[in-house]
Amino acid sequence: MMRRLLPVVLLVAAGSLAAAEFTPLDRAEAQRLLSADKHRQPTVVTLWSSDCGYCKANLKLLSSLTRNNRKLRVITVAAEPESAHLWPMLSRYGLAGPHYAYGSDSPEAIAYAIDPNWGGELPRTFLFDGAGRKERISGVLTAPAIEKATGLRF
Amino acid sequence: MPGMAKATRQELGASAVFAPDGSLLVVTKQGEHVMLYRSSDDGKSWSAPTAVNAQPEQISADGENRPKVAFAADGGLLVSWTRPLGKPYSGAIRLARADDGQRFSPPLTVHKDPAEITHRFESLLTTPDNKVILAWIDKRDLEAAKSGKKAYRGAAIYAAVSTDGGRSFQPEHKLADHSCECCRVTSAIDADGAPLFMWRHVFEPNERDHALARLKPDGTVESVQRATFDRWKVDGCPHHGPSLAVDERGVRHAVWFNQKDGAGRVFYGRLAAGSGIAVEGQRQVGGPRAAHADMAVAPGKLAIAWKEFDGERTQLRGLMSADGGDSFSEIALAATDGASDQARVVRRQDQLFVFWRTEKEGFRLFPLP
Repeated sequence: MMRRLLPVVLLVAAGSLAAAEFTPLDRAEAQRLLSADKHRQPTVVTLWSSDCGYCKANLKLLSSLTRNNRKLRVITVAAEPESAHLWPMLSRYGLAGPHYAYGSDSPEAIAYAIDPNWGGELPRTFLFDGAGRKERISGVLTAPAIEKATGLRF
Repeated sequence: MPGMAKATRQELGASAVFAPDGSLLVVTKQGEHVMLYRSSDDGKSWSAPTAVNAQPEQISADGENRPKVAFAADGGLLVSWTRPLGKPYSGAIRLARADDGQRFSPPLTVHKDPAEITHRFESLLTTPDNKVILAWIDKRDLEAAKSGKKAYRGAAIYAAVSTDGGRSFQPEHKLADHSCECCRVTSAIDADGAPLFMWRHVFEPNERDHALARLKPDGTVESVQRATFDRWKVDGCPHHGPSLAVDERGVRHAVWFNQKDGAGRVFYGRLAAGSGIAVEGQRQVGGPRAAHADMAVAPGKLAIAWKEFDGERTQLRGLMSADGGDSFSEIALAATDGASDQARVVRRQDQLFVFWRTEKEGFRLFPLP
């Protein structure tokens, strides 16, 4: 009996793991995530979406920088709800996470909690040096800009 | 209540138009169907929806890339949408026609290019001589440049013309290279009847201002001119397209979003025709969180509607002008706690309305003064 059940149990477990790749983001969590005093190490919070080609360039760059300097922490936020095609687009960059996607809260409330001055353009990136400083950059990142904002060398 | 979202978040993108008999028609997505809803009492009650596409297929229905609805000059009802294909960013532009306004023919793909690449964000324009013109964001030139290891800025705008009310389309042609990649495209008819399309462009090196194309009667390009001059330099996706309307005196009015001097704002301005477009009367619309404005004109009036998050709720607001955009009065229309589509300004004869779909309240129609 157990032997017959086992594959089913494994399948269910695999299914629930796949569904948990993204943590749903609400306005309270967004505010916490973007608070400079919550980041005690150099951290980049990078917003992306499945529609944004420029975001891929940033994810690729951040992925290579984390390999060069393990002190860099990269948190990803998909500015859209989780869907089947989202994880395959992100997983290829091998970023450790955590990984967020917009949850059931109002998207405008989440965006406002992330940054009241953000107009929704992507990529949008928030860079923390881990000592209370925070920078915002819209568009494609460069390694020197990330070095300057995080205080790390790559 | 039609339009209310189910438990899982769904795409809320919807379009509305008044039928010649005065009823309001709305198209939106339900699963793999575009659904058509009808209200004969200005949005108080709605008919059971009709499926536009009998065969299920993928449909885009976010705010920037939603199904569209319009009437051809011969009375045929037209619904267009983007059908996402397998690859990321890919899509095909689809159009279905109902001769009687009820029963739709199977949808056709309006372009000949079968490649599984970007053909998305269509704008649907009908003209008094029964032409139907669709223009969309197309990446065939970008893909060709990539294959040849060449750089290519942004995407391109292509258009297809039908001379039989949308039953068939001539081969598509390019309106312009170097459009922005994922902002909605808008259209209107110019003072002399020429079709106009406006979109966010990528001017060298990376200024995401807007371009306006004027088409000849056969649908080919007469001119493409820069229409805004805010000089927002970003290698990114604003996901925030413009809206255009031409009033009965032939004045072109537009609303758009740009970052100007470091601050993202919605702007209104008149696009004065000439050898180069001059923006007249440019002014800010709403506050710093104003977003996704739409506009329409009726004889003697001009209306803009947008949404604006106030820190707690999303507000729907409007601006009305009775003097051709020289002065405006602002009105509060509604608010919602949840997700919402962009506002759409729609016209019925001499009256303007705002249509707004929200997750919690469904479809709503607000008559403007």
